[in-house]
Amino acid sequence: MTAIELRGVTKEFPGVTAVSDLDLTVEEGEVYGFLGPNGAGKSTTIDMVLDFVRPTEGTVTVLGRDATVDSVEIRRRTGVLPDGFSVYERLSGRKHVEFAIESKEVDVDPDAVLERVGLREDADRKAGDYSKGMRQRLALGMALVGEPDLLILDEPSSGLDPAGVKDMREIVTAEADRGATVFFSSHVLAQVEAVCDRVGILRAGELVAEDSIEGLREAVGDGETLEVTVDAATDDVLDAVRAVEGVDRVDADGDTLLVSCDPGVKTRVIAAAEDAGAVVDDFHTSEASLEDLFLAYTEGEGVPTRREDAGTTTDESAVRSEGVDG
Amino acid sequence: MSLLAVANKDFQDTVRSRGMALLVALFSLLVAVFAYVVRPQGQADQFATELLLSAFVGPVLVTGLVPLVGVVVGYNAVSGERESGSLKLLLSLPHSRADVVFGKVLGRGAALALATFAGFLLPALVLIVVPVTFNAGSFLGYTVFAAALGVVFVAIAVGCSAAVATRQRALIAGIGVYALFVLLWGLFTGRVIGAFSGPVEALPVSMAQIRTFLDVANPTSGIEVLANGFLADQLFSGESANQQVSAVAMLVFWTLAPPLAGLLKFDRDDL
Repeated sequence: MTAIELRGVTKEFPGVTAVSDLDLTVEEGEVYGFLGPNGAGKSTTIDMVLDFVRPTEGTVTVLGRDATVDSVEIRRRTGVLPDGFSVYERLSGRKHVEFAIESKEVDVDPDAVLERVGLREDADRKAGDYSKGMRQRLALGMALVGEPDLLILDEPSSGLDPAGVKDMREIVTAEADRGATVFFSSHVLAQVEAVCDRVGILRAGELVAEDSIEGLREAVGDGETLEVTVDAATDDVLDAVRAVEGVDRVDADGDTLLVSCDPGVKTRVIAAAEDAGAVVDDFHTSEASLEDLFLAYTEGEGVPTRREDAGTTTDESAVRSEGVDG
Repeated sequence: MSLLAVANKDFQDTVRSRGMALLVALFSLLVAVFAYVVRPQGQADQFATELLLSAFVGPVLVTGLVPLVGVVVGYNAVSGERESGSLKLLLSLPHSRADVVFGKVLGRGAALALATFAGFLLPALVLIVVPVTFNAGSFLGYTVFAAALGVVFVAIAVGCSAAVATRQRALIAGIGVYALFVLLWGLFTGRVIGAFSGPVEALPVSMAQIRTFLDVANPTSGIEVLANGFLADQLFSGESANQQVSAVAMLVFWTLAPPLAGLLKFDRDDL
C-alpha cells in the first residue's frame, strides 16, 4: 500500500495556481523529503493531504483512504507537525500533549513524550512563553503521540538551533526504524540528505525531479568545480577558458575562476588561463554540494556551480509566510 | 470522544484568559451595587430579592450585558484560531470540523456559565450572611437563566466565527446579532408587523399571536418570559405556559442553528 498518493492534483487559488497537475507517490515505510523553495507549493500540497484545503482537480489518497472523505480516520493514524501554526498561549506544554493524547484516544504518558522532545523541564510553563524552537518541539511531541503510521512534518527544522535540528533528525530516523512513513518538507536540502530514502523537488507547483540523493546527483552531472585563483580574471581569460573543450560553464568570483568541467580537462583549463596571460596563484577542485544540486533544479540552471554559502542549515522563520505557501 | 476533547481544551483555555477574571469581577460588582440600591430601609428586614432581579439585575445585567459577553466570548472561537494558526494544530489531530465548532460551543458556553455563576455567587454569599431575609432560591435559580442566555449567545457568536475567515468579520457579525436582538428588536419587529398588517389579516393567525411569537423568537425576551415565570412561581404553568414552551424551543433553535449554519460554510472552506 502507498502512504500518500496524489494523482493529477491541481490547486487553484484566486489568481494563482499553487499546484499544477501533480503526481506524487510516497511508499509505505520510506522517508520522503519534499523539497522546493518557499512558495513552490509544498505547504499547499501538504494542506491537501491533511484536508485543510481541497484540490481543484485530481485525487489525494492517504493510507489507502480518500483525503477529504476519510480525513478524521487518516489523522487518527497520522502525526502532523504543521507549518505556520501557533500554540495555545495560556495552556502549558503538558496540557498540549494531554490534549493530543485525549484527541487520539490513546494511553500514553505525557511526560515520556515531553522527555523525548526535550521539554520535560518546561512542561508546566505556559506554551505562550516558549521560544520558536520549543514550540516546534512541542508540536513534534504532539505529532509523535500514539505511534502514528505516517508522520507529516512541514518545515520541521524551522526555528530550531543546530542541536534541535540534530534531535529532529534522530527522531525522524527512530520513527522510520519503527516502521513509520515519514514525509517532510524543507527548503534546505542539507537537512534531508542524511535521512531521506527519496526526495522530490517541487518548483512552481510542479514536481521537477524525484529520485534518491545519489540518483539526483548523477542526473545533474558529476558536479565538480575547479577553482582557479589568478592575478586578474579578465574577460580574455574567461573567454579562453570557456573555449576549452569539456568546460560547461565559467564564472568569476573576484579573481577566482569557478569552472565547471569534465574531470579530464583540468590541466588544459589551467594552461588556457596561463596562455591568455593570467598568472595562476592557486587552484583546487570541489565537489558540488547538495545545495548546488538543489539550486540547479529550483532555479532551472543546467549545471550546478559552487556557492560560497552552500549548505547553510540555519533557517529563517521570516520567509515562511509566502502567499502560495501559507 | 473528539467533541468533548475539543470542548475540554477550549474550556481550559478560556477560563485561563484574563477576560474571564474581569468578567467575574464585573458581574460581582454590578450585582453588589444593585443589591446595595435595593437594600432594606428602616424597619423593614425583608430584602426584595425579586425586585432586585426583575428590576435591576434582569434588564441591565442579564438581557443587556450577558448577551454582549456571550458574543465577546464566542466571536473568536474559530476565526481567532484560524487567524493565529492554532487551528492547524487543532485540525492536525483527529477532529472533524463539526467537532471543532460544537466542541467550542460547549467549551466556551461552559466557561461563560461558570463565570456567570461565580459572578452572581459572590454577592449572594454576602447577602446570605447579612441579617436580612434573602430569597437565595430565586436568586440562584435566576442565575441559571442568565447563564443559559449567555450560552445561546456564545452559540450564535461561534456560528458567526465559523462562517467567516477573520476575527474582525466575526466580531462585526457578532455585534450585529447583539444589536438586532438587544437594541433594535422592538423597532425591527414593529416594522415587520406594520409592513405585513395587510397580508396577516388573510392568514389564520391574529396580530397578537404574531407578537407573541416575535417575543419568544428573540432569545433575550424568551429568557425574560421564562425567568419571570420562574420568579412568579409559574414556570411551565399558569397563563403563559404555552409561551414558555415556545421560548424554550426557540432557545434550543438559537443554540443549534447558528453553529450548524456556520459549520456548513466552514466545512467547505480552504483554511
